[in-house]
Amino acid sequence: MFAEQLAGNLIQGLVLGSIYGMATMGLSMIFGVLQVVNVGHGAFIMIGAFTTMTVFTKLGLNPIFAIPFALVIGMALGFLFYYVVMQRLIKAPELASLLATFSIGIILEETVKLTFGSEFRGFNWETGKLDLGVTVLPYSKLIAAGGSALVALLLYLWYHKTRSGTAVRSVIEDSEGARVCGINVNWAYALSFALGIGLTVTSGVFLTMFIPVGINPYMGGGYTVKAFVIAVLGGLASPYGAFFGGLIFGLMENGSYTILATIKGVEPFALTRFFSFVTLLVILLIRPTGLFKSQ
Amino acid sequence: MRRSVWKVLFGVFSLVALVGLLLAGPAAALDKVVIGHPGALSGKYAKAGEQARGGIEAAVKWVNETRGGIEVDGRKVPLEYKNYDCESKKESVTSLIERLVTKDKVHAIFTPYSSGLTLAGAPIAEKYGIVYMDHGGASDKIFKQGFEYIVQTIGPGSKYHAGTLDMIKKADPTAKKVALAYEDSEFARSVMDGAKQHATELGFDIVFERTYPKGVTDLTPLLSALKATSPDIVIGGGHFEDGQLFNRQMADLDINVRAFSLIAAATLPAFYEALTYLAEGVMGPSHWEYGVTFDPDAAAKEGLQWIGPSQDEFVQLFKDALGKDMIPDYHAAEAGAAVLALVLGIEQAKSVDSDKVRAALGDMTFMSFYGSWKIDKTGKQIGHDMVDVQWQNGKRVIVWPAGARTAELYYPMPTFAEKAAGKKATK
Repeated sequence: MFAEQLAGNLIQGLVLGSIYGMATMGLSMIFGVLQVVNVGHGAFIMIGAFTTMTVFTKLGLNPIFAIPFALVIGMALGFLFYYVVMQRLIKAPELASLLATFSIGIILEETVKLTFGSEFRGFNWETGKLDLGVTVLPYSKLIAAGGSALVALLLYLWYHKTRSGTAVRSVIEDSEGARVCGINVNWAYALSFALGIGLTVTSGVFLTMFIPVGINPYMGGGYTVKAFVIAVLGGLASPYGAFFGGLIFGLMENGSYTILATIKGVEPFALTRFFSFVTLLVILLIRPTGLFKSQ
Repeated sequence: MRRSVWKVLFGVFSLVALVGLLLAGPAAALDKVVIGHPGALSGKYAKAGEQARGGIEAAVKWVNETRGGIEVDGRKVPLEYKNYDCESKKESVTSLIERLVTKDKVHAIFTPYSSGLTLAGAPIAEKYGIVYMDHGGASDKIFKQGFEYIVQTIGPGSKYHAGTLDMIKKADPTAKKVALAYEDSEFARSVMDGAKQHATELGFDIVFERTYPKGVTDLTPLLSALKATSPDIVIGGGHFEDGQLFNRQMADLDINVRAFSLIAAATLPAFYEALTYLAEGVMGPSHWEYGVTFDPDAAAKEGLQWIGPSQDEFVQLFKDALGKDMIPDYHAAEAGAAVLALVLGIEQAKSVDSDKVRAALGDMTFMSFYGSWKIDKTGKQIGHDMVDVQWQNGKRVIVWPAGARTAELYYPMPTFAEKAAGKKATK
């Protein structure tokens, strides 16, 4: 019974973890290139969730079609906020960019609240289920997990196999050197910020495929905290390190429940967070730069 | 010389006293009864607070226009409603009660919505010895503090699932295994303690009991463990958001049970809007629902005094009060019923003196559109029965108690596979 439940929860954790990872890649990318901590990260995930709900309930389309919408909306918002706000704050003290991203998050939340209201919403996308014996997985969750892994792979290929990806990597290594070599550093910053936001909004689509309820303007807060933990775990500046960090976090969250439930008198759910954060601290003590090397 | 001065002074004082008595005439008669309310009109409880305000205004209007006011000392005086916005904040509740008592000179205080705000204001009402009408604080904890002036109309949390379990016991004596999974909050704990106790009294076995933290975004590990116990009945929830998630992930993990009841979430239209057919057959306890059949005949059958508007009259008065075409929910109904209780209490006490009114409220029972009403020594509501609603073919119907139901219970609820194939919880 214990082994079955543990196996089932680890499978669920792996699926959820891949989405957590995807939801953190944008945060890591922006930090890696611009050295900006996006405190408003969760609000962009929320935009992705509302995009999915609108595509499904208003346009009557399959939530998969929300992916291109989310990427375009996210990148457009990214370019907009970069050129209007962030561009001026790259060299400013860190507190300025922290406050700026915090403000952007609040502006987005309140705008969505004014447009859609503050109710908790949801939708029902029926895809059928895969019965694995130890657990049951709706195909919508598998699509979300597969999509997340595919995005992580595409990002890796972009970074390493394309000219624009190489240009961004050179800006991370040495922005002055890159400028001397003729790379438009400001454009590399803008592209990285927009792509980071685009990825984050798209992760909102995958997250909503995984859990299509609880959609509300303030839903991003909890995910922001998790994303910071995962980003640190994966090596803060490494986007695909973040993806693997997400997998580890998902496995820890779900796997620890089954283990903690065997202790009498313990409420396991309350302790899973404790367990996850203690593990994070231990990892940081051993490897202060996180599990994966920064790019 | 000295004696004559004293005589003159005595004469002057006597004259002044006589003139004063003549001018004052008989004792000033009561010209109105005022109720004060630090309502939660904005902030996190704004929706429930708006409903409560609408319910109180509707009942006050009925008392003044249909009943002609409140009878005190052989004459009818109007009922006046004085309210302020506490912004759903505890510190505002306490200062507004002080203001209502000392400046506005109200005769009774109506609590703001929620157990937390009700509890925050109770010591201030006790300090001034003024009747404190609780229409929105369900936690049993409120009545364990020794407060003397609190009077509850909303049902206590511990009774939420009494009817649900009675109903299932009657429908299916073979159902034995009950699983409880709920939010780690004061309210949910109070509700589930009551459910556990009642289930044990009825002979059910509690095969699973776990809590989950507030703001949870994934219940999969907990529900996987719950599934392993193969329960017949699942009772749980805490608030709307986790209730939605609970039902959704029960479906994801294909956990099929005979009965499934969620507090707070399942009674709201948004629950079915989000989950659609996945919510078919899901139940939830409610203090009141539009469609219940409490009327003067039902009161006569139970030997209770009837007071107040009919259900439809109340709904119309509520819509007029808020200026919105909105059906009131239980937050409005219990606030309206609390007004009716106070009216009867004052009339039976023949006074607005808080001690006399509180004593009268402790001795009386009645029925209104909200159902029956009776309190125990601590002021806790013991006469009002919860109703149970169930989603049947996209409609929210009342299935318990038998005297108030609008449809038969659909039992056992359809499996998630049956629901996906189009089966509804209707015969």
